[in-house]
Amino acid sequence: MLITKQNNTTASLLTTSQSKQKICCGIIYSFILFFNLEIASAQNNITRSIIFQPYFGNDTLHLNDTLYQNGIALQIEAFKFYITGIELLKNERVVYTEKNSFHLLDVSEIKSLTIPITTPAKVKFDKIIFNLGIDSLTNVSGVYGGDLDPTKGMYWTWQNGYINFKLEGKSKVCNTQKNEFQFHVGGYQFPYNTIKSIVLAMNNKEIMTIRTDIKKLIEETDLSKQNQVMSPGAEALFLSEKMKNIFSIQ
Amino acid sequence: MKKVFVLILIASFIILSFKSSNDYQFVVPVKWPKPFYDFSKNNLSNKKIELGRALFYEPLLSRNNTISCSSCHSQFTAFTHIDHSLSHGIDDRIGKRNSPALMNLAWHNSLMWDGAINHLDMQALAPISNPDEMDEKIEHVVMKLQASKMYPSLFLNAFNDSIITGEHLLKSISQFLVTLVSSNSKYDSVMRQESDFTIQEKNGYKLFKTNCAECHTEPLFTNLKFEINGLPIDTILNDKGRMNVTHIPKDSLKFKVPTLRNIQFSYPYMHDGRFKKLSEVLTHYTEGFQGGVTLSPKLQKKIILSSNERVDLIAFLFTLTDRSFLFNKDYSYPKNIFFPKKKE
Repeated sequence: MLITKQNNTTASLLTTSQSKQKICCGIIYSFILFFNLEIASAQNNITRSIIFQPYFGNDTLHLNDTLYQNGIALQIEAFKFYITGIELLKNERVVYTEKNSFHLLDVSEIKSLTIPITTPAKVKFDKIIFNLGIDSLTNVSGVYGGDLDPTKGMYWTWQNGYINFKLEGKSKVCNTQKNEFQFHVGGYQFPYNTIKSIVLAMNNKEIMTIRTDIKKLIEETDLSKQNQVMSPGAEALFLSEKMKNIFSIQ
Repeated sequence: MKKVFVLILIASFIILSFKSSNDYQFVVPVKWPKPFYDFSKNNLSNKKIELGRALFYEPLLSRNNTISCSSCHSQFTAFTHIDHSLSHGIDDRIGKRNSPALMNLAWHNSLMWDGAINHLDMQALAPISNPDEMDEKIEHVVMKLQASKMYPSLFLNAFNDSIITGEHLLKSISQFLVTLVSSNSKYDSVMRQESDFTIQEKNGYKLFKTNCAECHTEPLFTNLKFEINGLPIDTILNDKGRMNVTHIPKDSLKFKVPTLRNIQFSYPYMHDGRFKKLSEVLTHYTEGFQGGVTLSPKLQKKIILSSNERVDLIAFLFTLTDRSFLFNKDYSYPKNIFFPKKKE
């Protein structure tokens, strides 16, 4: 329908002979063509969902529930993390790169745990790659909005830089005020760069579910000794190494 | 058809001319290096600069709405805090350092005495959240500004959005800060061959070039690097400077080289403001080095100055005073914004 209408318009315009008008026609024609192409390409795209499902071992993670690790009770009170740089691969070649790929996921806000991506419908892939955390270039390039806005509570101010992930909770083994543990992990400078790349096998799915099991991190840490990490350094680096293992395919 | 074409042309002219009246042209002084700040990511406009200026003087940025940026960065002292060796903030709490003078910030690739902040856009977050300075949270500042009478419309004018975000808040503060350019001292006019040094100033300039210029490099009068200048550590503050940021032992006691521009008015001197007078600073560099401190390689050669030479050097340093900067009305408290004239 749209194409015929457009052809009629251009045809009637072309009957006039003045050159200026021809230029005008040309501009209008290319605009119409451009929008047609836009519509056409939009029709060939589909929206896929990457869903991060938080677990504690075999159970779905609910904040503030009492959980058990080796018989010792603990609670997770907050869990927030940045997922960035999403790419899809086929035979080790990148077939899709998300633009402006910065997502803040917060277990207390279920909506934030689903990342919609729009890809060409035809694209075939066998792997997904993403980062846990914010790259160093973004860390040194000034202020950004959206999920990167420093008002999101994921930013250090005394020595500026993003907090890649926050995990907060309570455990009796923590000899701290209110038995709290706080892991605020970030740092973008060598040798304490804490951004981690995660690669998972993933076959052409429209809904990609990624299991996010926080027990895998808790198992690797001794909460009685390590319970306050809030600055870049060796401890943050250790936690980021363990943290990257919490992601797997359902 | 012709009419439509002409109309589009007129409309685009109007849009373009409107844009240029609001745009701010950042001028790099002759022979100065290229600024570090990336203006393409934060296009300067008069409305954003004006908003940033209001925020610079805005006490709502602090927990109890008493402290603004200007509390520790007063224009007449080259935007630093005089009279106190260590700057004081909210509830008269004493900080750990003397607030740095603010000028020519578009050329700085790091901020703070230890370079803890890597970008001008993020600088304001540090004093806002520091418990000894403003003791506030950026999220809460945004809420307070949003609830205020004047800011939603100022943000709307500047960013076409009355919803205030951290991004827009910080970008507008950066916009005001980069306009604080000091490049119009007597020294600058001599360099532009518009005036001459006195014999005393000329001799002082020579001494400066021999003894000071390696760290206080022209034209910014800082090499923007971190150096150990031989100050013995204050055992109460125990401030290790750059090492606090890098965790590298060789960075212990390194501090960022401050600019010497407007030094006549930016006393007291050094990161902890331990020297009140320039003569004390010169005494430190000529005879005050403590044994056991690893000095910057640039200070290995002993500096010897006669008493006449000291006077000459200070005479030269005074030529770095830029009154058109210190008294520039574009930088001062924006009375017209805070107390607009009532329409009669």
